[in-house]
Amino acid sequence: MTMLPERAPGARKMGLVIDLDTCVGCHACAVNCKEWNTGGEAGILPDYDKYGANPDGVWFNRIHSYETESPERSRTVNFPRSCLHCENPLCVTVCPTGASFKRAEDGIVLINTDICIGCKLCSWACPYGAREFDEDNGVMRKCTLCIDRIYNEALPEAEREPACVSTCPAKARHFGDLADPDSPVAKLVEERGGVDLLAELGYRPTNKYLPPRQAQLPTGPEESPARPSQGVGAALLRLLDKALSR
Amino acid sequence: MRPAASILLLTTLTGFAYGLLAWLGLDAAAGAAAAAPTLLLTGIGLVVVLATAGLAASALHLGRRERAWRAFSQWRSSWLSREGVAALLTYPVALAFAASAYHSPAAPLTRLLGAAAALAGLGTVYCTAMIYGSLKPIRQWHNPHTAPDYLVFALFSGGTLFVLLHTVVIGAGGWPAALAAAAAAAALLAKLAYWRHIDRQAPLATLASAIGMAHGTVVRPLDAPHFTENFVLREMGFQIARRHGMTLRRIALGLGFLLPLLLSLLGASGGAPLVSSALAVVCAALGLLTERWLFFAQATHVSALYYGRSI
Repeated sequence: MTMLPERAPGARKMGLVIDLDTCVGCHACAVNCKEWNTGGEAGILPDYDKYGANPDGVWFNRIHSYETESPERSRTVNFPRSCLHCENPLCVTVCPTGASFKRAEDGIVLINTDICIGCKLCSWACPYGAREFDEDNGVMRKCTLCIDRIYNEALPEAEREPACVSTCPAKARHFGDLADPDSPVAKLVEERGGVDLLAELGYRPTNKYLPPRQAQLPTGPEESPARPSQGVGAALLRLLDKALSR
Repeated sequence: MRPAASILLLTTLTGFAYGLLAWLGLDAAAGAAAAAPTLLLTGIGLVVVLATAGLAASALHLGRRERAWRAFSQWRSSWLSREGVAALLTYPVALAFAASAYHSPAAPLTRLLGAAAALAGLGTVYCTAMIYGSLKPIRQWHNPHTAPDYLVFALFSGGTLFVLLHTVVIGAGGWPAALAAAAAAAALLAKLAYWRHIDRQAPLATLASAIGMAHGTVVRPLDAPHFTENFVLREMGFQIARRHGMTLRRIALGLGFLLPLLLSLLGASGGAPLVSSALAVVCAALGLLTERWLFFAQATHVSALYYGRSI
């Protein structure tokens, strides 16, 4: 059903909080996402021309790097891009078959690939470029927020988080319930001023991005003025310094 | 946006078909069926053939054609689903119209069914237009021009067909060609207004807001996620032959609108009615295919921002 579900009072809004301050752009999240999702219930996440000149394939998570320049400072920003599990997902409502849907209980946006007809309209409706077409199976694919991990009781509790979150070596990715104001992710968003991407388009993404901190640029270590030293030891050291400097 | 041949064929062919159905229906509603049931019957036959060909072409666009029937289910939210339902409902209405025109062309029921068929046909065209008109990330589609333009182009292209049929079945008559010329003029003005509109639109967003940076931050792409093209770039970042845009616009304008307009005027004034009306159909078809290609190729998608493309 592609009508958006009525959100039950107290329903969770599971999502990611991504820290653009600490993301080092290593692509580990994208690689682990690909690894997990190519072996899961949904089957192979396709790759085309794997060993050829133009390798290509379906990725749920892609890492861009940008240079940003503001009056305060310039810096490199690494930017992981994936489905934001929007509260107002046009990708869901445009779907003609009901394959694309948003879960009422936790807000996760999913595709039922068993009934998807592969019309690609949902990918046109997403301004974030989060949906990618599976040429091998003729259906659309997207981030599932690792729904087969986060509720998977066969996994130790500590591992019940999305693959991208569990693998991030910089702890730049956080997972949790953004509807609960006391959750660690909600507090992080509150403290760091987490933002919506493309807020002007009105999709109301669940995932939030933490902008880079406005830290002071470190100044170089202060040169201590050379102390005039005395004595035989100092004279020997000066001699040594002279000899080594040759 | 990538102009897929299947979609260009779908929208152009159904435009001709449902536009023609609207002309036939309105013609009958005005009480002309009694004089020319043959025109109606051949016309509706042509409508069914063209619409079916268009819908079949659209199936080629699907990754899983065998599941196409599922697309009729989500009409409450999806314009694509509504298009499917409307196209399906148009068949029985058009066939009932044809049956009534065959049995009792002079009956009020034929007039009524004519009006219903015209409405069903134009309704389907409206649903098609709204598939594009409802997509917020594409400024060249999500604007007040898209839906009226599709309706005007359907009436224009269907009009050229109606004039040709009218000339073949009944003989040259001034008024259909004059009306078709008026539709061509309206289509030409609509297209010019659309191009003027999209050429002056501001981009929907900036790369800074796409990656959550403060307003006014200058952002430059440093590294793309992958070295090769991917689905997002192929589908949403289409750039091939964009530099020929202005030339193609002139071709679409001249071939698709101006020539059919002049040919219709020639026909209306009694000059070589058969040749001019047939040529008008051919020009309109080629011109509208070019126009539809441009509608896609010149449409930009917000997601291309992430790859440093201008939208």
